[in-house]
Amino acid sequence: MHTESDEDLVKRIASGDRLAMKVLFSRHQVRVYRFVLRLVRDETLAEDVISDVFMDLWRQADRFEARASVATWLLAIARNKAWSLLRKRRDAELDEDYANTIEDESDGPEVVLQKQDKGLAIRACLERLSAEHREVVDLVYYHETSVEEVARIVGIPENTVKTRLFHARKKLGDMLKAAGIDRGWP
Amino acid sequence: MTDSIASDPKRRELEELLPFYANGRIAAADKARIEAALATDAELTARLDIIRDDMAETVLLNEHLGAPSPRVLETLMAGIEAEPRQMPLLTRAKGGFLGWLGGLLASQPPRRLAYAGAAAVALIAIQAVAIGGLALRDAGAGFQTASAPGTRASERYVLLSFAPDAKAGDIASFFKRFDASVVDGPRANGFFKVRVGDASLSPAQVDAIAARMKAESGIVSFVAATP
Repeated sequence: MHTESDEDLVKRIASGDRLAMKVLFSRHQVRVYRFVLRLVRDETLAEDVISDVFMDLWRQADRFEARASVATWLLAIARNKAWSLLRKRRDAELDEDYANTIEDESDGPEVVLQKQDKGLAIRACLERLSAEHREVVDLVYYHETSVEEVARIVGIPENTVKTRLFHARKKLGDMLKAAGIDRGWP
Repeated sequence: MTDSIASDPKRRELEELLPFYANGRIAAADKARIEAALATDAELTARLDIIRDDMAETVLLNEHLGAPSPRVLETLMAGIEAEPRQMPLLTRAKGGFLGWLGGLLASQPPRRLAYAGAAAVALIAIQAVAIGGLALRDAGAGFQTASAPGTRASERYVLLSFAPDAKAGDIASFFKRFDASVVDGPRANGFFKVRVGDASLSPAQVDAIAARMKAESGIVSFVAATP
């Protein structure tokens, strides 16, 4: 069975094809939604953001160039909108201190460790990473992006992608160690 | 405990690539280098195991986030139905580019324009190197002024301003990525005229470059093709 490529769908969207829009939306909505939700931490806001993202795609489809994949393009737009929302909400750049103040209803890593589940403890720590660290971890570990794609989506140099991810991983290890799980690094 | 990988630049470089080895998004040459190192470096292998654990938990965490509700597609399609089809940028520009540009400039908050000025200072320093290089490369036997290359009809340009939070390093990288250079600015309103290519670029291609630049909203706050 022939599956139309994302790039072909975007060409059809550029000519006003609404069915192509629905197909592309169905193909990418879940991943874009999850990426945004991990940043904004609010389901309604995340839904509003992805609606905006796909509306931008509708408006700008004729400007798409195949140098990046459609998925990368969508994540880059989504990322910009999510951060813009976060900045408006906070009126300041998110940093670790702020991230640490974000309320999280899930159990902390110490609590889940008491429940004897290392996987749960790792996930609890992943939730507590700063927004900057969360996004690179998610992009590489979940969205399976390359160094170049992360650089494009986040708008940072490729070397910064690698060092930022390194520090995110180190931070994760530090938090787990503080919770009583020593994995030998850091 | 001392981190022996962190203190060895070669191992550190490989270590930073491990997440991309684990997700399969790595160049073949880097993959081969990592596999050769993993065969003899137990510490690096242990680090890869940690990454794989974290990767599995990250996937699980994301998979638990569910999916957007059907209302998103309904809202989107309703918005599309209500939206008149956008005309291409140049078509809009022909109908009154100056008025349109003026409206956009007027809508820029003063703080943003002020920051654009600050970003300009950093940019000028970066561009000075490039301009100096160009002047040297172009210098023939005759007299040459020390100014930046003038604008020529054989080149294509965009007008842009920088985002308030844009960092000098990111701006430098931005210019490198787009192979662009400043030919004029900062103007009083904080805008720069930037060369993006030669006359072989069609107006549609210049529009496409401008759109790609605009997508980097952490670096630029405004971009449009300009004569």
